[in-house]
Amino acid sequence: MIAENTQTQMRKGILEYCVLSIISRGEIYASDIIAELRSAKLLVVEGTLYPLLTRLKNNGLLSYNWVESTSGPPRKYYTLTEVGKGILSQLDQTWQELAYAVGVSQKGANS
Amino acid sequence: MEKTIIINIGNTIIHIEESAYELLKAYLIEVKQHFANHADDLEIVTDIENRIAELLTEQLEEQKKQVVDSSNVNSVIGQMGRVQDFDSNEEQEEEPVIHTAYQHQYAEKKLYRDMDERVIAGVCAGIAHYVNTEAKWIRLAMLLIVFLGGAGVLVYAILWVIMPKAKSRIEKMEMKGEPANLQGFQKNLDEELQAVKERLSEVNKHAQPLFARFGIFIGEFFEWLGRFIGGTGKVIFKVIAGIIIVFGVLFLLSLIIGFAAFQGFWDESIYEYFPFSVINDSSRGVILLSAFVVCFIPILALVLFSIRVAFNKQAINKTLSFALLIIWLVGVAATGYHAAKISSEFKQHAELTQTADLKSYKTYVIDIDRSKYFSKEDSINYHIDANQRRQIVTEDFENGPFVSPNNIRINIEKSENGISRLTQKYESQGKTFPGALQNAQNIDYKYLLKDSAIIFSPRFTLRKGTIWRNQEVWLTLEVPVGTRLILKDDSYRYINNYGTWDCGEIENDGNNYSVWIMTEEGLKCVAQLKEEAIKNQKLKEELLNLEFLQKNKSTDSVYQDSVSNRIKEVRAELGINVE
Repeated sequence: MIAENTQTQMRKGILEYCVLSIISRGEIYASDIIAELRSAKLLVVEGTLYPLLTRLKNNGLLSYNWVESTSGPPRKYYTLTEVGKGILSQLDQTWQELAYAVGVSQKGANS
Repeated sequence: MEKTIIINIGNTIIHIEESAYELLKAYLIEVKQHFANHADDLEIVTDIENRIAELLTEQLEEQKKQVVDSSNVNSVIGQMGRVQDFDSNEEQEEEPVIHTAYQHQYAEKKLYRDMDERVIAGVCAGIAHYVNTEAKWIRLAMLLIVFLGGAGVLVYAILWVIMPKAKSRIEKMEMKGEPANLQGFQKNLDEELQAVKERLSEVNKHAQPLFARFGIFIGEFFEWLGRFIGGTGKVIFKVIAGIIIVFGVLFLLSLIIGFAAFQGFWDESIYEYFPFSVINDSSRGVILLSAFVVCFIPILALVLFSIRVAFNKQAINKTLSFALLIIWLVGVAATGYHAAKISSEFKQHAELTQTADLKSYKTYVIDIDRSKYFSKEDSINYHIDANQRRQIVTEDFENGPFVSPNNIRINIEKSENGISRLTQKYESQGKTFPGALQNAQNIDYKYLLKDSAIIFSPRFTLRKGTIWRNQEVWLTLEVPVGTRLILKDDSYRYINNYGTWDCGEIENDGNNYSVWIMTEEGLKCVAQLKEEAIKNQKLKEELLNLEFLQKNKSTDSVYQDSVSNRIKEVRAELGINVE
């Protein structure tokens, strides 16, 4: 139970970072983000993604364009804003630090 | 086979089976409830709906189908995830800065008419929301304005026109100053879809031109009027129905009691009185019963109908009401039959005349004795001893509704042969002539001769066992010319052939008798004769004077003309022919 909780927290912690990273590679549609996350084994359901995207958008990290779709309604394609890019680079740095922290924690500072 | 429903989701038209629709609807409600507390609820839900629409369309294309079924919906739900899964992944944290910024956008109150709490058009309730008080204070203020100068009505009408009504949920939330999230959106999916759509077209609504609003105002005004009349009218009908129920039930009870009384206390004496005296002994029971049925059932029906109106409840089933109708018709038929039978007993007419010569007097006194005629048996029955205690039972003069129309009538006529004579004529109707004659013979009438006094009883009675068949008693008193008649008390009321009420006012203050005299022209009031004689005397004197003037003073022709005119007038009044 405790393990599960911690796992959830860890996933939650990096989910936003991962989503931003995926979007940073180019304009992308929500369901494609899901597909990317699935292939990255970060299992999420689509329903989770929309609140996250909306929040990021409202925070000014993301913007979107309406793109006509052949099947169904027009789709929102998300891109990173300048603010988003700035924050992502900060997060990249933080991730490096975290990875270092984890590595040091596991193997010791000397190795 | 399954029924399909056409839905509009994410601006896409999709045919969906009913069971699948229920499933999808439940899921969407779940989602909306989940995000209801979220700052960006509408956007998120719209995104999700759009995505669902896209997924469904994709699936239909892949599977080459026309209609979405449950398996499609289930797979979509699987892909989107259950709300429980949302929880574990996305924290419900709301960054305060953004949240308030977002809320601020909609927390601004707008002036709308509140149609949910309206009394007339929701103006007061809307204002109350805007100024953040209870609606009753605004209403009170509005009433005061109305009563102070009547301008309140105009103010209200203007506000009615100006203020748009809060139709969608979003408008209602804006009216109340609530942030426009999905918190209140949990009732019905269709309503919620409507609300989302309305929000998109919200902009147009605020640009509604004033004249269009005025049209809305008129439409709403009449709608309100109709509602008011419908509502109040219903109440009035119910009140009337309630009154009918109370009085109808009382009337029915009294009918039952009356019926029981007539049947139970088989009191013969009641049949001596008018409406009942018509009925034959043998058919009384039947007539009573059928009359009871004829009265009872329509009133019962009225009461039952009123119960239906008042309580919206059918008080009686169809079979029973049909049976009641049959019984009523039978009652009507029986009553009609007996009415015809009884009226046939009035077919023939018979008269019976009895003449008695009276002793000759110069003056007769006519009096009405209203002390009831009692036989010896009656006196014993009622413990009346006329001789010892001087008790007299007087009958009421008036004809009440239950009193037989059996007053006598007296004619006074001039005797041709100089003999005073009293003729009694008994008349009656009957089914046959002998029957009518028998009925006439059964009339029991008494009058009394005491020297010159003739004392009439005001009524006749019918011998026991005789039924009322329009029996009448006519008394004719013939007196020779020059005979005086003194009519005592109110005996003049029974005199049939002379209008006698204005006689005797001058002579007697007490006015308890009037004096009459038989002349060649008929009966005359002595007091009036005297008056006329005095008048004639005066006229004659005047005439003599005038004639004297005419003969002696023939100087002035104008004066002469006026004198001769007056002579003509006086002569005409005296009945003297002008030569």
